[in-house]
Amino acid sequence: MTEAKEPKASPKKPKLNLNRVEMPKQSEHERRHNFDEVALGYTWELAKEEASRCIQCKKRNCQQGCPVNIDIPDFIAALQREEIEEASRILKRKTSLPGVCGRVCPQELQCEQACTLNKKGAPIAIGRLERFIADWERTQGAPTMPEMAPSTGKKVAVVGSGPSGLTVASDLAILGHQVVLFEALHVAGGVLMYGIPEFRLPKEIVQREVQYVQALGVDLRLNTVIGINYSLDELLNTDYDAVYLAPGAGLPKFMRVPGENLNMVYSANEFLTRTNLMKAYLYPEYATPIKMGKRVAVIGGGNVAMDAARCAVRLGAQEVYVIYRRTRAEMPARLEEIENAEEEGIQFHFLCNPTGFLSDGRNNVAAMELIRMQLTEPDESGRRRPVPIPGSEYIMDVDTVVVSLGTSPNPLIPSTTPDLEVTRWGTVVIDERGRTSKARVWAGGDIVSGGATVISAMGEGRIAAAAMHEYLTNGQ
Amino acid sequence: MYPIVDHEVLAPRVHRLRVQAPVVAEKAKPGQFVILIIDEKGERVPFTISDWDRDAGTVDFVFIEVGKTTQQLATLQPGDRLLSFIGPLGRAAEVDRYGHVVTVLSGYGIAATVPIIRALKEHGNTVTTIVQAPDKERLFGVHPLEELSDDLILALGTKGDGMMESTTVAIRKLLDAHPKKPVDRVIAMCSLCLMRVLSEMTRPLGIKTMVHLTPVMVDGTGMCGACRLSVGGTNRFACVHGPEFDGHEVDGWEVLMARRCTYADESILQQGFQCRGCSQW
Ligand SMILES: Cc1cc2nc3c(=O)[nH]c(=O)nc-3n(C[C@H](O)[C@H](O)[C@H](O)COP(=O)(O)OP(=O)(O)OC[C@H]3O[C@@H](n4cnc5c(N)ncnc54)[C@H](O)[C@@H]3O)c2cc1C
Ligand SMILES: Cc1cc2nc3c(=O)[nH]c(=O)nc-3n(C[C@H](O)[C@H](O)[C@H](O)COP(=O)(O)OP(=O)(O)OC[C@H]3O[C@@H](n4cnc5c(N)ncnc54)[C@H](O)[C@@H]3O)c2cc1C
Ligand code: SF4
Ligand code: SF4
Ligand code: FES
Ligand SMILES: [Mg+2]
Repeated sequence: MTEAKEPKASPKKPKLNLNRVEMPKQSEHERRHNFDEVALGYTWELAKEEASRCIQCKKRNCQQGCPVNIDIPDFIAALQREEIEEASRILKRKTSLPGVCGRVCPQELQCEQACTLNKKGAPIAIGRLERFIADWERTQGAPTMPEMAPSTGKKVAVVGSGPSGLTVASDLAILGHQVVLFEALHVAGGVLMYGIPEFRLPKEIVQREVQYVQALGVDLRLNTVIGINYSLDELLNTDYDAVYLAPGAGLPKFMRVPGENLNMVYSANEFLTRTNLMKAYLYPEYATPIKMGKRVAVIGGGNVAMDAARCAVRLGAQEVYVIYRRTRAEMPARLEEIENAEEEGIQFHFLCNPTGFLSDGRNNVAAMELIRMQLTEPDESGRRRPVPIPGSEYIMDVDTVVVSLGTSPNPLIPSTTPDLEVTRWGTVVIDERGRTSKARVWAGGDIVSGGATVISAMGEGRIAAAAMHEYLTNGQ
Repeated sequence: MYPIVDHEVLAPRVHRLRVQAPVVAEKAKPGQFVILIIDEKGERVPFTISDWDRDAGTVDFVFIEVGKTTQQLATLQPGDRLLSFIGPLGRAAEVDRYGHVVTVLSGYGIAATVPIIRALKEHGNTVTTIVQAPDKERLFGVHPLEELSDDLILALGTKGDGMMESTTVAIRKLLDAHPKKPVDRVIAMCSLCLMRVLSEMTRPLGIKTMVHLTPVMVDGTGMCGACRLSVGGTNRFACVHGPEFDGHEVDGWEVLMARRCTYADESILQQGFQCRGCSQW
């Protein structure tokens, strides 16, 4: 599994070790049939070996590449000294979700891209080390509790329990504010629970983070929809001194082509919610069913599409196609997940786009019509736009379709709060510290970005929590 | 957790549950629904609110046993608790002073329309109610309808006892008398097939006909798109834009009926559920 040889060969002259330590995974054959985690994580031996490669750069390039500025060289140094607990403490200074970020961050675009060793093609596997530390802590019993500030007597409502809301709730609770966390669903965690599948992010890890936030004194109110049960104004006019909005971007996009409502055409949100949140893969033990055909087309090229395609494989589809209008090079999904999908036998169809869905005569989808695409010359932004090739339409037989074209911001709160400024894409407008146009209201995460990453949702929460704390303590 | 405080069997396979859920009771309006989950392994299922008591903090709904989850619900007793009970979801039914309103009800609609009829009466409307049931044994909930409606017509499939033979015959008679005895609005909460037929009957007369549509739902808050349907050429989500729609604008009836039956073959118990045009048979 590891390709590294003789890591401690020359103790006096630090020689660059470019043998990045691979992380063990479940075999392709095995994992096609289960929802267990694909990547198995480093052992302590492997983690030590990978950590030993870090050359402790003075410039801390890696740290600058991390959206929440984790003290990466320091936690790796702690690992090199074999002080895992200390490493964990250093991590926790900047992230409350190390076990999540270590698994799902696009490290290849962030910390690991910035790592000095990346120039030599072998960046330190920072994410895998974070994951190792978080998993190690998890086996050590209850997490260590932070020191809590005395109560300030202020009360805050946090709307949405995804990574952004969880971060703000815990930060403000530690600072002594009373926090109520409202969640529309029956489970906390947001996309971490309903979107990202078990085989990439075990739900137990997310729930442990939720329990930690509750242990800090945060009052979690599930099954409560802000905009329905209480309007934002009601929150502000009754109990709460300030509100943080983090309802995410959960509104599915459709293509608006003929036949898109036929039976067995799913949105990725429905498909993933049934599978992950409701555990349809354990039907009938769990009561939520999911109907799967034999030939499944997943439309889109992002992480959501990869997740849907890989769920389809595990739910028993015989053939799974990913339909993407550009080429592999332009796919927004993480490279690691594209490779995993390829290993699992998913077939990629590039440079084509659906123009309609055809019925079997009884309103079940039976085929789709596609048109071939070509990429234009790069425009000023450097992006090659896909355009259809006239007359190149063709038909492909499919009996299940999952439309994974991304999502838009949840409209419920803006639509019930007329004085909350939003852009024409429906994202909530904030200043650089997370403050919205409405007094005493901050926002962050996907409702602001329109759909980004776990770590950016967390990072925005962290900034807003600091601003809210200032407001709550000295009124500014 | 949401305790059950009352369980009444109204007819064979028809039950009324009363649930302690003050947050839902607080804002409930006629025509809205809840989504509940029985336990950790349960599915999310929608039910229309048939009554509520803000002071007591309770919400009622009436359900028919048709499959796994409703069968399990039927076994619950006062003191048992539901894992989840979210609502009130969807838009409230439109209620205003229209004049003469005809309501057409079957199944759980017989109970779930009562709050709408009550509001119609409060707005000074004359209400004719048509109730369809397979037979007298399976008829329930007549008493409040009798009290509230100016005229109550029972369509039980068999003649006698002053009953009409079918809903469409009853509605035809009312429409034939229109506009001399005008029908100003029709509101239907019954089978999809009947709501579709009704919409076609009233279309030439230009009588506004509101239908209560029930596509398969998962989250019930506009996140999953399972409940989408085409209305007036645009995609609408029944859980946020509905469940009440103008029947003359619904243009995806067939697809809607097919999608509604995606899971019908899983555990369906209801006899005669199988209908023409269904995608699953
Ligand atoms: C399938 C999928 C795969 C992804 N993979 C990755 C990945 O590999 N790496 C990565 O970094 N990012 C990934 N992302 C993106 C990432 O998950 C999101 O950017 C992140 O979760 C956003 O966090 P958030 O807190 O803003 O919102 P969310 O996680 O969306 O949470 C919002 C929460 O608010 C609740 N809510 C909404 N409206 C209301 C209301 N009115 N009242 C009360 N509660 C409400 C919702 O139910 C939800 O629980 C993925 C996204 C998806 C969908
Ligand atoms: C807005 C709305 C309001 C409703 N109000 C009531 C009510 O007041 N009383 C009542 O008895 N029933 C109501 N229903 C229907 C009720 O949700 C289904 O009867 C119930 O889900 C059946 O579950 P089951 O597991 O027992 O049966 P299953 O065997 O799972 O399904 C039987 C049939 O019920 C329907 N159904 C199943 N799951 C769902 C779902 N998640 N969403 C919608 N329909 C589904 C399908 O047509 C399916 O073919 C309503 C549905 C909607 C959408
Ligand atoms: S949080 Fe994400 S970006 Fe930051 S160091 Fe960890 S894995 Fe890298
Ligand atoms: S840039 Fe890479 S090698 Fe340098 S300190 Fe950071 S992780 Fe270590
Ligand atoms: S039930 Fe999910 S969007 Fe309506
Ligand atoms: Mg069911």
